[in-house]
Amino acid sequence: MSLSDRHFDAIVIGAGHNGLIAASYLAKAGRRVLLLEASTRLGGALTTAEVSPDYRVSTAAHLLDALPRRIEKDLKLARHGLRYAKRTVQTIALDHDLNHITLSSKRSDLDILRRHSPADAAAYPRFAARMKSYAGVLGPLLQDMLPAGAPEPLSRRLRRLIWRAERLGSETLEDLMRQLPGSIGDMLDDAFETPLLKGALALDAVIGTGEGPYSAGTALNAITRKGLRSISNGPHIVEGGLGGFTDALSAAAASFGVIIRAATDVKRILIVDGMVRGVETQSGDVYEAPLVLSSAHPRETMLGMVGAKYLDAGLVKQLTEIVDTGATAKLNLSLDGLPTIQGLSPQEYGARFLITPSLASLDGAYAAFKHGGFATDLPLEMTIPSVTDAPLAPPGQHVMSIVIQYVPYQATGGWEGSRDRLVDHVIETLSEFAPDLRDRIVAGELMLPQDFERKFGLVNGGWYHGDMRLDQLLTSRPAPGLARFSTPLRGLYLCGAGSHPGGGICGLPGEYAARLALSEGVRA
Amino acid sequence: MSDDTDLTTSTDIEPPPLPVTENETAAPAEPVGRIDLAMLDEMSRVDPALFEQNHQDPPFSRQVMTTPLHFYVASESLTNLWCNWNGYSVAERLTSIDDEYATLRHSAVMTDISPLVKYRISGPDALTWLRRLVTGNLVSLSVDEITPVVFCEDRGHVVGDGLLFRLGAAEFRLVTEEAHLAWLLDSAIGHNVRIEDVSATLAAVSLQGPLSCAALAAAGLSGIENLRPYTAHWFDLMGMPVYVSRSGTSGDLGYELWVEPDDAPALWLRLLDKGRSFGVKAGGFALREIARVEAGIARAGVDYIGAFSAIDPQTAMTPYELGFSSLVDLEGEHFTGRDALRRVHARDPRHILATVAIDWHEPLRFTAIRDATGLAGLATSTVFSPALGCNLAMAILQPHAISSSTVLHVEAEIREELSLRLIHAPAHIIAGAALMLPARHLVPAPLTIRG
Repeated sequence: MSLSDRHFDAIVIGAGHNGLIAASYLAKAGRRVLLLEASTRLGGALTTAEVSPDYRVSTAAHLLDALPRRIEKDLKLARHGLRYAKRTVQTIALDHDLNHITLSSKRSDLDILRRHSPADAAAYPRFAARMKSYAGVLGPLLQDMLPAGAPEPLSRRLRRLIWRAERLGSETLEDLMRQLPGSIGDMLDDAFETPLLKGALALDAVIGTGEGPYSAGTALNAITRKGLRSISNGPHIVEGGLGGFTDALSAAAASFGVIIRAATDVKRILIVDGMVRGVETQSGDVYEAPLVLSSAHPRETMLGMVGAKYLDAGLVKQLTEIVDTGATAKLNLSLDGLPTIQGLSPQEYGARFLITPSLASLDGAYAAFKHGGFATDLPLEMTIPSVTDAPLAPPGQHVMSIVIQYVPYQATGGWEGSRDRLVDHVIETLSEFAPDLRDRIVAGELMLPQDFERKFGLVNGGWYHGDMRLDQLLTSRPAPGLARFSTPLRGLYLCGAGSHPGGGICGLPGEYAARLALSEGVRA
Repeated sequence: MSDDTDLTTSTDIEPPPLPVTENETAAPAEPVGRIDLAMLDEMSRVDPALFEQNHQDPPFSRQVMTTPLHFYVASESLTNLWCNWNGYSVAERLTSIDDEYATLRHSAVMTDISPLVKYRISGPDALTWLRRLVTGNLVSLSVDEITPVVFCEDRGHVVGDGLLFRLGAAEFRLVTEEAHLAWLLDSAIGHNVRIEDVSATLAAVSLQGPLSCAALAAAGLSGIENLRPYTAHWFDLMGMPVYVSRSGTSGDLGYELWVEPDDAPALWLRLLDKGRSFGVKAGGFALREIARVEAGIARAGVDYIGAFSAIDPQTAMTPYELGFSSLVDLEGEHFTGRDALRRVHARDPRHILATVAIDWHEPLRFTAIRDATGLAGLATSTVFSPALGCNLAMAILQPHAISSSTVLHVEAEIREELSLRLIHAPAHIIAGAALMLPARHLVPAPLTIRG
C-alpha cells in the first residue's frame, strides 16, 4: 500500500445516508475523502433486501420524508439513479366502517371526513393551516445551521424567530408557546372529535419515538415533523425502496471521487494534542487525515472511538445521558397477490396507511409498551410499495411494508416465543381491513428493535441516534456541549442523525457538518 | 439480641452510682462546704463508649459525628468549645488561642484533622483518571510523594482542591476539604478505577511547629528528620503502621500522621506523652484557621465556592483567580476544563483571591474591603495574627484593587460596654503568604529549636 493510500484530506466514518452525503460534499469541494463503513453494505438503515427470493422491500425505513431538493441537486442524485415511484404519498387512516379518512384538505377528502363529523371537516383545514404556520415559525430554525455556541448569534437567531412568529400575528405566537411543551393528544382533543382522525394524526406525530400521545412535548414532535416534511413535500416512495436512494448516494459519492471501504470497522479515532490525526481500524490499519467526520452515534464516536480521557468529564456525563428509545418494529411480507382492502379505490393502494382506531387505543398501546409488553391492537404504518414500484415483486405479486409502533426493546419475559405472537397480532389487525391478507402471505420477516440494533448499530433500536425530544433538539442535540457538529477535538465533527436537526432521512446533519468542516478547514 | 445490648447501653449511660452511706441519710446536717473530691472525680468520669463511632451505622444515621479521637481531645479541653467541621464535632479552642498560638510557633501543636475528606483511588486506570481529573501534571509524582492539586469542571471553574498522595503504583489518596464523590464518580465514566470515600476509616493527626520533628523523633519515629517536604513514609510505632507525611497548613515545619481509627488514640497519647518535654500541646480548629490564613492557604467552601455549589455561576472561580496558577499545566495531557482554561487564562480575571493585612492591633470583625470609591472586595476569612500583630484576611478582590496605586481600608465597629468606636483601618495586599517559615523547607528537619 503506497503512502497516498494512507493519507487523506478527510475521513468519514459510517456510510449511512448522512455519511455518504457528508463525504460527497467534501469530495465535491475537492477534498480527497475516505469513507469507512463497518458493515459489508452501505446505507445503514436505508436498505432494500429480499424478504424471500424475488420479493424485495425496504428492510427498515420505507419512506423518504424530508430530503431537501438542494441536496438532491448538489449531489446530482437524479443523474445517479434516484427515481421516485410516487412523490408526495397521501396518508389514509383506515376505518372499520370503511369511511377511510385521507389526511388532506381536498374537498373530496373532506366530504368523507364530514361523514364522521361535520365539525371536524370544518376544523381540519384550519388545523392544517395552523400546523403549517407553526412549522413556518420553527422550520427555519430546524433547517438552518445552528448558531455557534457564542451567545450573541443565538440571541440574534431567537430574535429573528420571534420576529417571524410575530409577523404571523400574536395569536399564533401565543398559541405556539402554549402548544410547544404540550402533548399532541391534548392538542387534538381540543381540535377534533372523530376518534379515528385523532388517532391517525397522533400516530403520525409519535411514530418512531418512545413517547405516548399524551406525553409532554409530542406537540413539538408533530410540528417539527411537519416542518421537516415541508422541506421536500414528503413523504415519497423511492424506486427500488430506500436501498435505491442509498445506491444513488453511493454512485454520487463515487462520482465525486470518494474512496469507499466497506467492512472496515473503525476501532479508534487517533488524537494527538487535542487534534485529530486519523483513524485506526479493527484490523490495525491506520489512515491519516486532519479531518474526521463521524456519522456514528455521538456516544459511540466520542466514548467508543475517541475515549473519555480526551474529553471533559462533564461532557462525558452528558454523552452517557443521551436517551435512545427503540419503540418500533418492522414486518415485511411477500404476498402472492394484492390483498383487498375493503372500501378502498384501486388508485389508493399506493398510499401510506395509518392504522389505529383512536387516541385511547394508541395510548393503551403505549401503556403496554411502557411496561415491557405490546398491545393486541398495535398502531401500524403500512405501505404496499410494489403497487407503485412493480419490479419489487414478481409480476402480479406484492410486498407489504409495515412499521409497528410501540414494540419494546426488551420484552418482559424475553422475546423468545413472543415474536410469533407479535406477528400474529399485526396480521390479525390488518386482516380486519384486508380479510384475504393471511392467505396471500408467501413469506415474511420481522425486525425487532434489537434486530435494528444488531444490524444497523441503532442503540436500543432507536431510529434517531438520540430521541427527538424537546430536551435533545436544537442546541441540546446531541448534548449541550456538542451542538453544532464540531467537537472539542480540532478536526473532529459529528455528521450523523445525532446532530442538528436530527434523524428522519433529511441528510442535513451530513451536509451541514461537511460545510462547517470545509469552512473551518480553510481557516485552519 | 436486642435485650442485652439495650441493657448494656442503658447501664453504660447511667452515671456511676453514688456511694450511699448511712452517714448521708443519718446526718443531713453535715455542712455543705465539704466536698468529697474522690466522689466528684468518679462522677465526672466520661464513658468513652459514648463517643465511639459505630461503623455499622449508615453514615447518614448520625447528624453529629465524632472523630475517633474525640474523647482524647475532649480530655485536653479547658473550654468545652466545639465547632462543626464537615459534620464532625471538633474542638474550637482547647485552652486559650494565645497559648495555643504560642505553642504552635515555639514548640508544636497536635490537631485532630480526621474530619478531612479522604478518597482512596485504585485500579489500572487510576493514574490516567487522575491526570484527566486534576489540572496539574502528575508525570513526576512517584510513590510516597505528595502534590497539591486542583480540579475543575468543563467550564474551567474550580470544583475543589486538595492534596494528592501516591501510595503505590496504582494507588492514590486524595485529601480534600469538601466531599466530591459524585463528581469523582461522574468523571470516572470510561475509566477502570475504584474510588472509595475512606474518610471514616482513616484517622489523621497533624503535628505542626518548629519542634514537631523533635517530638516525633522522641516518640520513636527514627529518621523522621530526613523526610523531605511533600513526601511521606511508613513508620512502625509500637507495632502500629503510621503513614507520616511532611505536610500541613501552618506555613512552618509540620507533619500529618495517617492511621487506622483504632490506632489513633494510642498514637495521640504517645505523641502527647513524648512531646510533653518539648512543650507539645493539643490545639483546636481556630488555631488551624489562623495558621492557614497566615500561610495564605484558601479553604474550599469558605474562601471560594466550588463550581457545583455556586448558585450564581459568576461566583465560581478559575484556578487563576484563586492563585492556583502554578498547579495548572495547559501544555500537558488533557484534563477536564483544559480547553476552557486555555481560553480564559489570557483573559483578565473577574476577581482575585488574595491575603490582605489590616493594620490594627486587636481582632476586628469586618467583611467589606473598601477603596476610595467604594467596595473593592469581600473578606472570606478573617483572623488576628499574633505573630504579625495585625488582622489578616483572605479576600476576594476586584481586579483594580490589586494595583499598587489603590489605597484600601476596612471599616469596623468595636463595642466597649455601652460605647461604640468606629474604626477606619488601613489595609494592604500581601503578595504570597504572610508567614512562611524557613524550617518548612529544611532537610534534614531541625531536631531542636535553632540548634
